[in-house]
Amino acid sequence: MAASSVIDIKGLSKIYGRGGNSLVALDKLTLQVQPGEIFGYLGPNGAGKTTTIRVLLDLIRPSSGSATIFGMDARQQSVEIHQRIGFLPGELSLWQGRSGMQVIHYVASVRGDIKRTVKQAEELAARLKLDTSKKVRDLSSGNKRKLGLVIAMMHSPDLLILDEPTNGLDPLVQQTFHELMHEFRDKGKTVFLSSHVLSEVQAICDRVGILRDGDLKAVQTVDALTNVEFRWVHVQFRGGVPADVAQGLRSLPAVSEFQAEGANARMRLQGDFDPLLRAIAAGYVEQLHVEEPTLEDIFLAYYSGEGESA
Amino acid sequence: MSGIIISNTLRTAWRQMFYWGLGLGLLGMYIVFIASNSDIVQGYADLFESLPPALLTAFGASGAELFRSTEGWVVTILVSELALFLSVYAVMAGLAVTANEEQSGILDMVLSLPISRRAFLLEKWLAYALLAFGTVLISGLLPVMTAVALGIEADIGIIFASILAVYPGALIVITVTVLLATLFRRRIAAIGAVAAYVIGSYMFSIIGGSASGPIADLLEAISYFSHVGGEAIVAGEYEPSGALALLVAAGLGFALSAYLFDRRDIGI
Repeated sequence: MAASSVIDIKGLSKIYGRGGNSLVALDKLTLQVQPGEIFGYLGPNGAGKTTTIRVLLDLIRPSSGSATIFGMDARQQSVEIHQRIGFLPGELSLWQGRSGMQVIHYVASVRGDIKRTVKQAEELAARLKLDTSKKVRDLSSGNKRKLGLVIAMMHSPDLLILDEPTNGLDPLVQQTFHELMHEFRDKGKTVFLSSHVLSEVQAICDRVGILRDGDLKAVQTVDALTNVEFRWVHVQFRGGVPADVAQGLRSLPAVSEFQAEGANARMRLQGDFDPLLRAIAAGYVEQLHVEEPTLEDIFLAYYSGEGESA
Repeated sequence: MSGIIISNTLRTAWRQMFYWGLGLGLLGMYIVFIASNSDIVQGYADLFESLPPALLTAFGASGAELFRSTEGWVVTILVSELALFLSVYAVMAGLAVTANEEQSGILDMVLSLPISRRAFLLEKWLAYALLAFGTVLISGLLPVMTAVALGIEADIGIIFASILAVYPGALIVITVTVLLATLFRRRIAAIGAVAAYVIGSYMFSIIGGSASGPIADLLEAISYFSHVGGEAIVAGEYEPSGALALLVAAGLGFALSAYLFDRRDIGI
């Protein structure tokens, strides 16, 4: 399976600094990204997402371990790899005095096949409603981001590596971005994107890796991640939440984060429903509502350590 | 090496080269204009004759006799100033090779393109080496044209050759700046280190030229200012070995920079 992976990372570690001031940015990371999938790389700031991307792009060198892209070593064959990938950095910096089109021409000239690449750039810019005649210094942060997306995608790469791609994009453009990603995947191409926007990952990704403190906590399909064992349960009682019922619910090991207000009780249930149903049977239940956890809940659960067993 | 980085760098940085060349050329024109008055030249020669040798060295001359000929006067005054001002240009050019783009984050995007780090560095270095030559050329052509226009009695070829001989020094400063930017990563640290190198080199040249003994000789030898060669060209005693040594050192410095740049993290 690993042989056909687009990205194959094995035991990758990156330690910044030496001695007492050293910082482990990545700790023996092992991860595969398969062809034709959109892989979401989730984690808060400082988790190691950008470090992983920078190792993949050969901008920084790992302390140990290896990374291959298309079966080629990320360091030894970086030029061949870069021919087939598009990259959007998390903080995009470009030449302030050049117009968007000048930047596109420059990048296209380094990549080769200028005519076709520039034509595709113009099409992408039109879809993203980007004015490429403006100088970079005159572009808003959202428009700079659009220009970065155009540069990353204009040569029809086989793999897109995007670091926080929708930062600064307005919701309409985000929608266009989602469409572009789905179209890209439908062509059998692969996307590796880092994000801390869970709804975005939920909307476009096939699989998600959750990173914390340089350690990959889980890799799951978005569906499987959502299908964890806890649920939010809302119960509405006639005449308010009975005191004995509230006490009974609080004492259940499977129930946590119990809140009661007026006639409504809200709690987090881990495991089977039966103990909860028996506990609320002492009251008159008008409504019972079960809510699936959001990806944010799951995300938080992984960060608190619970998710690893979920 | 595709040449795309070179052509792109030349296209975007030629104005800077032109304005620097123009500014330095205007300085040369001014000095040539003064030299067109033989009384002023002789007055200066008399003044310099009364100066101690150490002070004369600060002007780039080993003796006052040099100031008696018009070309000697022009070369001594102009070349020492050109060497100093071109060092500033060379530091800026050296920083533009990698340090500026690394500091701003642009290098992340550039190095994600299909070009190796070595090829990128080589093309940028060559581009700025060419631009520095262009600056020297413009700054030499303007005073020479002025000298021709004013019809001053001087060997124009010597003046032009002396100005061109400043180039290896500028190239070594560009290369040292690139090397220091590669070593220190942070732009401000590279600027501090290269400023120390330029000032130190200038001081070594003065100390080495005004004193005698093995230490003074060593200081003079390691200063790139000592190899500018203007005085030797005027005296007809120019040995290209000093300039060649600077060019070889620049080549070796670049090779070391490329080696280090290829092995280190970018943008941290």
